[in-house]
Order: sequence, then structure tokens, then C-alpha cells
Amino acid sequence: MVYGVLRLINFANSEVFMLGTFATIITSKNIFGYVDETEPISGIKLVYTLLACMLASMLVCAITGVLVEIIAYRRLRKTGSNRLTTLISAIGVSIVISETVRILTSSAPANNPRLLDKIYLISYMGTEFHIGSVRIPVSAFEVRLDTLLVIVFAIALLFAVDRFVKHSRLGKGIRAVSMSEQNSQLMGVNLNKVISSTFFIAGLMTGAAAFFYTTVYESTKFNVGFELGLAAFTAAVLGGIGNIRGAFFGGIALGVLEIYAATIFGTQWKAVTAFVVLVLVLLFKPNGLFGESLQQARV
Amino acid sequence: MAFNLRDKGADLWDSSPKPARVAIASSAMIFAICLPFLGGTFLNTPISSYEAVLVYPVGLFVLMALGLNIVVGKSGLLDLGYVAFFAIGAYTMAILGTTTSLNFWEILPIGIGLAMLSGVILGLPTLRLRGDYLAIVTLGFGEIVRIVALNTMSIGGPNGIANIPTPPKFLSLEYTLQNQKAYYWTVLFLIFLVIWMVRRLSSRRPGRAWESIRQDEDVADLMGVRTLKYKIWAFAIGAAIGGAGGVVFAAKSMFVAPEMFTLNTSILILACVVFGGMGNIWGVITGAVILAYLPERIRFISDARLLIFGLVLVIMMNVRADGILPRKKREKSLQS
Amino acid sequence: MKKVLELKGVTMQFGGVTALNDVNLHVNEGEILALIGPNGAGKTTVFNVVTGVYKVTKGDIVFNGEISVVGKKRWQITEAGIARTFQNVRLFGEMTALENVVTAGDVRSKSGFVGSLFGLPRSRREEKANKEKAMELLKFMGIDHVAHKLGRNLPYGDQRRLEIARALGTQPKLLLLDEPAAGFNPSEKVALAETIKKIRDAGYTILLIEHDMSLIMGISDRVVVLDFGSKIADDSPQVVQNDPRVIEAYLGVPADAS
Repeated sequence: MVYGVLRLINFANSEVFMLGTFATIITSKNIFGYVDETEPISGIKLVYTLLACMLASMLVCAITGVLVEIIAYRRLRKTGSNRLTTLISAIGVSIVISETVRILTSSAPANNPRLLDKIYLISYMGTEFHIGSVRIPVSAFEVRLDTLLVIVFAIALLFAVDRFVKHSRLGKGIRAVSMSEQNSQLMGVNLNKVISSTFFIAGLMTGAAAFFYTTVYESTKFNVGFELGLAAFTAAVLGGIGNIRGAFFGGIALGVLEIYAATIFGTQWKAVTAFVVLVLVLLFKPNGLFGESLQQARV
Repeated sequence: MAFNLRDKGADLWDSSPKPARVAIASSAMIFAICLPFLGGTFLNTPISSYEAVLVYPVGLFVLMALGLNIVVGKSGLLDLGYVAFFAIGAYTMAILGTTTSLNFWEILPIGIGLAMLSGVILGLPTLRLRGDYLAIVTLGFGEIVRIVALNTMSIGGPNGIANIPTPPKFLSLEYTLQNQKAYYWTVLFLIFLVIWMVRRLSSRRPGRAWESIRQDEDVADLMGVRTLKYKIWAFAIGAAIGGAGGVVFAAKSMFVAPEMFTLNTSILILACVVFGGMGNIWGVITGAVILAYLPERIRFISDARLLIFGLVLVIMMNVRADGILPRKKREKSLQS
Repeated sequence: MKKVLELKGVTMQFGGVTALNDVNLHVNEGEILALIGPNGAGKTTVFNVVTGVYKVTKGDIVFNGEISVVGKKRWQITEAGIARTFQNVRLFGEMTALENVVTAGDVRSKSGFVGSLFGLPRSRREEKANKEKAMELLKFMGIDHVAHKLGRNLPYGDQRRLEIARALGTQPKLLLLDEPAAGFNPSEKVALAETIKKIRDAGYTILLIEHDMSLIMGISDRVVVLDFGSKIADDSPQVVQNDPRVIEAYLGVPADAS
């Protein structure tokens, strides 16, 4: 989304994500007082605790996102700096945030207490069918409550953002700015407000993602942003950058590809998969599946 | 800051007659050559040996910053994976040094050649991409090189390669762990060579091509500049320089491992280029010397080194995007 | 009469928008052809397809009767002999005026990388010749007094003249001028008209986009009119000026724009 509006790859977003994961843990531990050994809870208590954590994460990310924009990008936008300068500034911000957290946490990981029990809704061991002499394997299959929630939420979020961008006033403003900064300003759009809002919304989504990540994986570290940020970016490019629906499909596609690669080549190559996919997509189908061309000259 | 150090220096240089220029250049070179002997002064570094520091990080950072400067500073191509070429050079030295009977001097051109080749291979498909995407792809390349090194057991895996032989005696100079002067002078020689090369190219067709690509690539294309060719040349030369640095690094450290070639190093070199003055050789050298030397001198900075580099990037871009010694702005005739 | 440039059935589509619709036009050697039309008619698109910025959806573009421009790289097209200026001045702002023109002149150099690096004789000769030629072009355009000033520090008029000098630096056969008089006052326009004629007399063929009708009437040999991507007129200036369809396209008598 930030790219669509600003034509800027927000390097710092992966660090915003990382902050969100820490926010989740801080909320559950310091505000609610749970510790690592807590037993999973249930019922209303579970729901509002989780909601609180998610909201905390979303808010932290949204506010940080806007701050980053104001501190690192706004000034450059005003003076019309070229893309290279802004990109380097983004990298700088990314480093400052992750290094600060590294120093504060002394590079140690932080753990999230398991509040939501990992309930297996469906668990299927996998069998083989025999038809005559032909074997048809059906692999193991399981559905876990927490991962299911992530999927449901992601889909809901996709619909919500899609509708928002299409129908709301701010959403239209965002789309207008993404098409033409100058014209939208002439039409009365408050540029700073739209851009800040974009970062805010992007931050909200990042925060939600951070919350789910922390809940499912139960720990985080200062450098968790990098690899995930890369995967996120690859997914966005795969789906077609600047396109929200594309990002969604890109995410799914990338996830599937990573798992296949890990199965075939071994898990240590998983990190490379995202990069390789990225390079391949950029080389052969730079538009991604749905998006705009990355190579058009502007004359 | 309206005061432009670069212009003042350039004015001084241009207004001096030839003998004066020779004198200035020679004294600068002699001063650089004598640096290792100043270990007993206030320049001494508390953490590591002064002479070792001169080689790495100072000398090699300067060398690599000069290489990256051609890519980022002159041509405007953001390469975030520069450490890959350094790594390729280093591993070439490591592998050939421990498995064959070739010595440092014989391996050096091979390392440079391999780095250059990988620069071309990386560049051919990716240099058509626009700025931000090039940045990500080059970053990916850097990481892929490191991860391949990490996971390939035949070249040491996470343990790397040890017992890399030191270079043989050159004239009467010995390359030892205790006495690093010879390494330093080797690096210095490479630096002088690169400076000569870059100045030569800058005032001629390649330099103009790179500048036009950086300033307005689409228009450069339409003015007949063969942008793809020159972009690849920029990459190739930058890679060659990085590779050369890597070979020397491996010979000096006598040990290489994947964890020595991380994204952080690419960022550090980038910070040197940015801080010093993109496109300007002297600015880049100054920037690299400052950013490489200070953390070794002042321990407090060393712990937060990366954080400070990040701050440098953000602050420099926002306040003085041209660096402390901006690229040539002077309105003088072209030197021939 | 030799056709320096010929557009045959050129159609240019961007997604759902048809910028050029089956356009047929040609430019004769040594003539000044004006391309006019209301805003959005497709004039700059013609320049863009001719110089290889866009690839035509349909049709062919033939240069000098022999080379098809379609599908060629931009530098190849420039090397073949087509050069252009831009609607919004796009100089290499951080280079001096002289450097701008010398860079354009490099397309004619044969020396490569190695020659530059080692200062081989041919490279040195070409450098010298290139610079001399560039100074001549600056003199020709009347801006040699600012040869060593940075492009972005030049006054607007000089910048426009420099753009033309730079295009000429590539030693083209065909020169495309995109609104060269934009922002000029009447006396500057008169001077520009003289300059364009001077360029043509020096042996170049010129295709120009302009809005100023008096300028066009004064110097063009022929005028092509585009409207919504289609050609609606192609004749001498006097005939075109009185063509009812042209008048209608402009909604009234073509006024002195800018």
C-alpha cells in the first residue's frame, strides 16, 4: 500500500513488524501479568486478552509507521529528493530501530506465553488408498485453531481493506494520490494527511500480522523483521506491487512455494527460496500476477 | 552549509602549476605510506593492533568504498549486496590457497576475475530494473552468497576455511601476523591503482556515461548512451575491486567464515560512500577513513557501531544528501 | 523526394486507451514538418514511438527508407540518426553545457572502455574532436558563453537552446523538437524561428511539435494535424489553417497559445 501511494519501498516496515511482536509480548506479560509458564486460558478472558494484545500491536505499529514517515521520509519528499536518497534513509531507519532493540534486549529472544491453546480441530494421520496395484497416498493433514484464525482474519482483513479503499473517502484519496500526487492536491486532497493515513493503515495491518506471528510462534527477537520483511516484499512483488489483492495471493503462493522448497531441498534453504522467487519474478514477470510494470520509462 | 570544501580544494588544485600539483600529490602519498609508523601517537587504537586496523577495516573499507562508489555514487545504482564480491574474492583465496600451490600473487587476479564475472552475471538480468528493485535483488544476491557458503560443507560450511597461507616475501617485505605493514602497503597500492583508474575513466566517456545514467537514465538512453553496457561495466569494476579486497582480507586474516560477510558489511560500506560524498573520490575516502577508524579508537562507538551507521544514513540523507565532500560541482573546463 | 521518416499504419494502445490510431505520415528530406493538434492528440506519443520509448501496437516506422525503428533499442535509434528534445527541459543538470553536448557526441565515438582507461591514441583523438565539435555546436546555438556553467544554473532560454545543441550533438539526420518555443516571449520566438531555419539549412530534417501558429506558419513546409490519435489533415500551412475540420478540432480559430 505504501508503495502504491509513494512509489517507495518501505524498508522500515519489517522493523515496525518486529516492534509489533514485542508489543504483543509486553502486553501479555507486563500488562496482563502472564508469565511463560501460564496455562492456556479460555472463554471471555481469552478473547479480550487476545484482542488487547492485537490492538496494542496494531497501535504500536501504526504510530511507529507514521513517526517513521514524518522523521525519515517527509522531509525528503518535500525537497524532491531522488529515490536513491529516500531508499537509503529508509534503510537507515530500519537499522536504527533494529539496533536499538538489539541493544535493549541484548540480542536475547523474548517469549510469549501460550494463552491460546494449540487445539487441533482436525487431525488426520494420512493413509494410502489401494486401487488394484495403484497406491494413492493421502498425506497427513491437520487444522489447528490458531493457524485457522490467522487465515480467517487475513481474509476478513483483505475484504475490509479492499472495501475501504474502494468506497471510503480516505480510501479514494489514497487511490487518487497513488495515481497522481499533483492532481490530487489540485483536487483538494490533503497530501500529508493521506500519506500519514496510508502509513497508519499499513501499520495497523502490520500490527495484526505481528500479533498473529507472536501468538503462533511464541517467541521473537530483534532480527525477526528482516527475513519476514523480505518474504512480505517478495509476496507483494509476486502478486503485483501496488495491488492489494495481488499481495494476498502473492502471500499464499509464496508460502506454498517455500514449503515445497523446504521439502525438496531441505529446510536450511528456506531463506533462499524467497530471494530466488523474488529474483525470478522480477526478471521474468516484473508485473507480478496483477500489478503495474516496473520498467516503464517516463518521458 | 554554503561552504563547499570540494570546490575550494578543486580551485586550489586547478590554480596550481604542474610542479606544485606533483608536490602535493607526492606528499599525500608519502604521508599515506608512512601511516603504519605512527602507531605510537595519539592515533593508536586501544582495541586491536594499530597496524592491523590500518589494513582492516580502514584500508579495505577505503578500497571497497571506492569500488561501491562507482556503482552507487557515480552511476546511481543502489547495490546492497556488495559484500558478496568481497566474499567471493576471500573464498577464492581461501580455497585456492589451501588446496593448490598457488600463492597470493597468483590467486589475486583469479579472485578479481571471478568477482568481476559474478558482477556481470548478476548485472545482466537485473540492471534493467528500477532503483528500489535493484536494491532488493542485490541484497538478495549478497545474502544468497552467504547462505550458500554457510550450507556448503565442501567449502567449510559454518566453520569456514582456516590456515590460509600468507603471501610470500615480496622484495624484502614479509607478511606476518605481527607485522602487518606489508599487507597495508599492498592495500595502499591497490587504492592508488583504483584512484588512478577512476579519475581516468571519470573524465572520459565512461564517466560521462555513468553521470548521465545517474542524472536521467531515460534521457541518456535517448542521447545514444549505451546505458546497459555502462551499467554492467560499473558493476563489473565495482565487483573487481571488492574481490581484490576480499583476496587480501583472506590472506591477512588467514581464516574465512560465512559470518564475516553479512549484510551489515554491505551497509557499512554504503554508509562510507554516503557519508563521505557520493561520486566524489576524496569524499568517499575521507568518509571511509572516519567511519572505519573511529569505532576502533573510541570503544563506546564500537559497541553501537551499526546503530551509529544507521543514524549516519538517515541524518546524512535528510540534512546533507551530498555527503561531507559533495561530488564535483565546480564549473570548470573538462580536464583532458 | 526522399522520405527520411515514414509512419505506416501506426497504432499505439495503452491498456484501454488508444493514443494513436492508424497514423500514416512521412517527413521528406530537408523539410520542416510541423505536428499540431489539441492537447492529448498524441503528438508527443508520435515522438515517443519514433524514438523507441514505446513500442507500437501495430504498424511500422521506417527511417531513411531502410531501417525499421520498431523494436530497436533507444540508443540504436539515436545512433541511426534520430534525436529529440523534450517538452519539459530535461538536461543533465549537474553537468556543464559543454559536457551535456559532449555526452551526446559520444554516440559517434568508436573507442571503448579500454581505450579510455589507458589513454590510447584513438581515444584521445576522439575526445579532442568531440569537444571541439561540441563547442562549435554551442556557438551555433549562441550559448558558447555559458559553456562551463552547470545545466541547471542556466537561464530558461539558454536551457532550451542547450537541449537543441545537445540533440544536434548526436549528429542526427532527423531532429525532433518538442515544443521548443514553450515559455518564450515573442522576440525569443522570432529568434528561435530563425535558428530552426538555420538548422534546416545546415542539412538537418526537422519534425516539430508546436502550439504557436504564427511560428508554425512562418517556418513550416508542411503541417500534419492530429486529433484524438488520428491524422485529420496533412498539407501546406495555408491549406491546413483554413481546413474546417482543423478549426473545429481546436474549437475556434487557433489562437496564439502560450
